[in-house]
Amino acid sequence: MRDNFAGFLLERPAGTVLGPIHIDDTTLRDGEQTAGVVFANEEKLRIAKLLDEVGVYQIEAGIPTMGGAEKEAVAAIAAMDLNCSVLAWNRAVVSDVQASLDCGVDAVAISMSASDIHIEHKLRQSREWVLDSVKRAVVFAKDHNVYVSVNAEDASRADMEFLLAFARTAREAGADRIRFCDTLGILDPFNTFMKIKTVIDVVGIDVEMHTHNDFGMATANAIAGIKAGASYVNTTVNGLGERAGNAALEELAMALQYIEGMSLGLRTDKFRELSEYVAAASNRPIPAWKPIVGANLFVYECENRATATMADPTTYEVFPPEAVGLTRRYVLGKYSGVDTLKRKLEEHGLAVSEDEAVALTYRVRSKSVALKRALFDDELIDTYETEIAAVRDELAEAGPAEEDPVEAAARDAVAALSEVADES
Amino acid sequence: MSPEFVRGAGHVARPMLLGDGVYLVDTTLRDGEQTAGVVFANQEKVRIAKLLSEIGVHELEVGSPWLCVEEREAMKEIASLGLRARTRAFCRNTGDIELAAATGVDGVVFSASTSDKHIAAKYGADRAWVLARAAEAAEQARAAGLSLVISAEDASRTGMDFLLTYATAAQALGAERFRFCDSLSVLDPFLSYQRIQTLVGELDIPVEVHCHNDFGMATANSLAGIRAGARFVTVSVGGLGERTGNAALEEVVMALKHLDGIDIGVSTAHFREISEYVARASSRAIPVWKAIVGTNVFAHESGIHADGVIKNPLTYEVFSPDEVGLARQLVVGKHSGSRTIQHKFKEFGIDLSDHEANEILTLARDMSVELKRSLFEKELMYIYQDFARTNEQRMADEKVGVMDEE
Repeated sequence: MRDNFAGFLLERPAGTVLGPIHIDDTTLRDGEQTAGVVFANEEKLRIAKLLDEVGVYQIEAGIPTMGGAEKEAVAAIAAMDLNCSVLAWNRAVVSDVQASLDCGVDAVAISMSASDIHIEHKLRQSREWVLDSVKRAVVFAKDHNVYVSVNAEDASRADMEFLLAFARTAREAGADRIRFCDTLGILDPFNTFMKIKTVIDVVGIDVEMHTHNDFGMATANAIAGIKAGASYVNTTVNGLGERAGNAALEELAMALQYIEGMSLGLRTDKFRELSEYVAAASNRPIPAWKPIVGANLFVYECENRATATMADPTTYEVFPPEAVGLTRRYVLGKYSGVDTLKRKLEEHGLAVSEDEAVALTYRVRSKSVALKRALFDDELIDTYETEIAAVRDELAEAGPAEEDPVEAAARDAVAALSEVADES
Repeated sequence: MSPEFVRGAGHVARPMLLGDGVYLVDTTLRDGEQTAGVVFANQEKVRIAKLLSEIGVHELEVGSPWLCVEEREAMKEIASLGLRARTRAFCRNTGDIELAAATGVDGVVFSASTSDKHIAAKYGADRAWVLARAAEAAEQARAAGLSLVISAEDASRTGMDFLLTYATAAQALGAERFRFCDSLSVLDPFLSYQRIQTLVGELDIPVEVHCHNDFGMATANSLAGIRAGARFVTVSVGGLGERTGNAALEEVVMALKHLDGIDIGVSTAHFREISEYVARASSRAIPVWKAIVGTNVFAHESGIHADGVIKNPLTYEVFSPDEVGLARQLVVGKHSGSRTIQHKFKEFGIDLSDHEANEILTLARDMSVELKRSLFEKELMYIYQDFARTNEQRMADEKVGVMDEE
């Protein structure tokens, strides 16, 4: 496998991304399908509007055949006159497709399992039945002039020969694209690349990536598929979706732009706002460390990084916080150094000498260890006010030579680093 | 495949005897704690070190010795435990290595930035200066009898020519392995593969991959590095680390096991437990959707998925939940199907007909939409009780009607 992959790389340099990429966001469908998550219809409309403003190509709005509020929401979104395409999800059943057509969407996804394990154990049917069902549903949909995506569920576990037959059946019935679903998130980027390349080379149909994050690789696998030639990608805001979720819209868009050098022209500066709204509507707060939109991403505590970014943010930032609607902040804690301390004190109109800053930094670190967290600015001021006299006395009375030798070595290390920073 | 460890005395480095395997270097206690806002109490550090060693992690990066007295005390205590896992301190210069030696750890990782941008901005120096610092550090580590790893910070933004110069220098200086850091996550798995493959081809010593998750690809990039020949991989529990974090221990281990067929002998059944402990100690709750250890990853609500899982768990599960210390749940909500309802009530000892299940499903879905969440089992029982009462009432009314007609 390693050798094969090396061959592909020679053929297609690793930095290459082909053709324009279309984002098909499924926050409203696979996102809501997450156990425990339910959006109110009003929230669905608002999410659709935000996604449209961000500039996605298509929205997967829901499952009309569920009826009731769900069907109403899809119809309402289709009637919003958005710039993006509105797609509805269906099983490969004519009545499902009819329900979608009733809603006035311009695109339908027709879903059917492609793996034997699903065909035998879940559907309890044959491969022929699968192909017939797909064909019937696609022909019906195309007769009504809508864009058709055929979703190959569990495609990553499907027998490749059958998957090719499945894709060929879809194409011949008139489908516009095939959605390759790594339903269980079991692929790695290398397997993904090879499977997608095979489908495209053999069947010659547009491919959409639908990846899951069960092993933490949804985004990487989506990008691998794109590198292999897929031109559509299914995302969700915050990666919301079944189990560990789907490929996150914000991760995918930023990775394409900053790693692969391909801008999708999205309003990425609205990502944090969009993520916050979906987080609130889905009752799933954004972890502070969430890639791209986490509140912690541009917060600097570690001395090394804080000092460097104060001089030049690009030493530790690939894109500026404004690119995704965040802001840069510095915090004082166990790992912070003299530069952050001096900067914070200066903001409060307090000046200290280099030696005083070093001594105060140690006190801040100890306090942070005792409190088990970073300090608030007020706590720094308290530390300054209560400790500065003692610090000055110590520095006046005793020289560093009388310190504990281990402590002195640490002190020197801190001083050496700040000298280096001052030089630069 | 599990490596043999030879316990040395005092500061004599314990050599690691390499088999064919992949080895884990956990940095929860160093890069993990370096996360802005996260501080472990010393007793938490000790507990985390014990837990990681017990589940079979091979090496622990235990701390940054220059930080403060408390940090060095924690390192000293962990080093004195005689854990199966080797212990290593993170160092930037000879002063740090001196401090590390006093804590009794098995080794040090000397880290210097190698990208021109970092060399200029952080050190105000040049490439030769970096090489000289590495040489000093190696000398200091050798004198102290410490095992040495040499690490390239921002390696992914370093020109390959200088990276190879630095890496081969590290090897010549006696480093036991070389660490490649994608400090800013600027790589995708294909680019990672290429870089690591080149390094592995040039070096005789093993290569370690250290990835960050800024674009959500830390695990994929780590696995790509391993595929390209890296033998060591930096991980942290729950992916705790600077900004978006590092590659998550549990993701890397399970992906190696289930996607690449490499079982490195780590006791995965404790993953949920250890993740919970680190989550508490770092005050960062595990998101319910966290890959591998989130409580939601074995929760099935949608009718299609739940029906599949009821018939055969393999339809929607790759490994069994108990493999990582979790449990499967069937959740009833807006997307549920009638099979789930029947299955749920069977658990409660109630057999529902298809008709009854459909009626209850409609009521449950409506309730879920109204409440904007899935339902508790109690609520499901309330629905059933109301449904049964209405039914009895209707039957009674019908009976009365029939009698009236008579």
